[in-house]
Amino acid sequence: MIDAHAVDLGPYGLLLVNLALLSMIGWALWKTEKNISSQSDMIVLGLLGIFAVSGRILLEPIPNVQPVTVIVLMSGIYFGFTRSIILATSVALVSNIFLGHGLWTLYQAFGWSLIGLIGSLLSDKLHSKNITSNTPLMIIAALSGFIFDWTVSLSVLHTLGPDLLLLYLFSGIPFDLLHAAGNMFFVAWLASPLSEIMTRHVTVKKPSAVKELVQNRI
Amino acid sequence: MNALIPFILTFLSISIFIYQTTKMETNLFPKAFATFSLLFIIITFSSISTEWNRMSSELVDEADDPHYGLPDLWDGKQAVCFHFPADSTPSNFNDGRHHFDYDGTDFKTDKNWDSTGACVGGFEGYENGVDLLNAAVEATGTTFAYDYTQYPAGIFIDSIAGVIPCEALTCAVDFSSGFYWQLLHNGAYSPVGISDVVLDDDSVLTWQLASY
Repeated sequence: MIDAHAVDLGPYGLLLVNLALLSMIGWALWKTEKNISSQSDMIVLGLLGIFAVSGRILLEPIPNVQPVTVIVLMSGIYFGFTRSIILATSVALVSNIFLGHGLWTLYQAFGWSLIGLIGSLLSDKLHSKNITSNTPLMIIAALSGFIFDWTVSLSVLHTLGPDLLLLYLFSGIPFDLLHAAGNMFFVAWLASPLSEIMTRHVTVKKPSAVKELVQNRI
Repeated sequence: MNALIPFILTFLSISIFIYQTTKMETNLFPKAFATFSLLFIIITFSSISTEWNRMSSELVDEADDPHYGLPDLWDGKQAVCFHFPADSTPSNFNDGRHHFDYDGTDFKTDKNWDSTGACVGGFEGYENGVDLLNAAVEATGTTFAYDYTQYPAGIFIDSIAGVIPCEALTCAVDFSSGFYWQLLHNGAYSPVGISDVVLDDDSVLTWQLASY
């Protein structure tokens, strides 16, 4: 019998396939969102959740690089804390069905919720500064990588003593750097389209919702 | 830390170049910088991670552990240590016990160790003592090259790093008493020669001068 699908892509080939799939999903969601007449932010949260889950699963070959942190951060900025919790916990749970579910899922959900909280708390400041570039958001996103990783690292307290926690955090800094660089990349390239989408669906009547688009078009 | 400096300098140099070439274009710099940063870290991640792990490693402090005094980076891996008499230690290693990783990088020195010398570790998969010893010697160039005499039962180490026992310490003229390179396996005297040592996954071989 001919095994016509048994093509050995290798790790880099598979990563390229994953990037192509993620691009297709992103493009399709972008187009779909434009045709949604409802102003409900829950629909766009669902679309963002699909992209975040897909991104986390498909980018799994690159350690600690995924779009979830930036998406949750921006959902916190635009939609507020409670909606970012919905996104954070559901993305952590659904993606971990594929990547592995355990106690760490709770810490990941908590960590991303914390990023959503930071986003919602900084929403006013970002708004008042009338951001014309992504630089402040890039800095916040980079720091969010460290905050999320350190929050999730607290789960080692179940197995290691608190005296080893600092050593554990210190030894993980290269992975934190990778997360921070990935977040900066996603802000640089996704903040503008995400900002457009989110702005169209902001229904929360509170001053913390950002009114202006992030301007990063070349 | 020193090994990380070239990475940092390269990153800063290219970042400045990107800034200079993109500053005229509005908002091009963040995109270019973020993309470069991510690619740089992905490409160099393996090296950065290795150097960082070496820098952040600590010495095992459990006295009953065969890896006692060795970097925890080598947990579960194999190592070879060379301990020299204080007066005959090669000049590079007379300030404590140096630790060389499997690629020959001298990354940590224990100045409080009770003997001077060096350990070479981070090896995996060796089953025979001679093979591990040779790997450790090759990893550090000719620093710990050894001379030996071949006997039917195996090899006998005559010198390590140029240190000949009866030149470093005083032996009887008729050699009725003296010193030799003694082999320890996981901290205990090895009843068999280096040729016949069967290694564990985390074996530690130690060479030191002992009297007979």
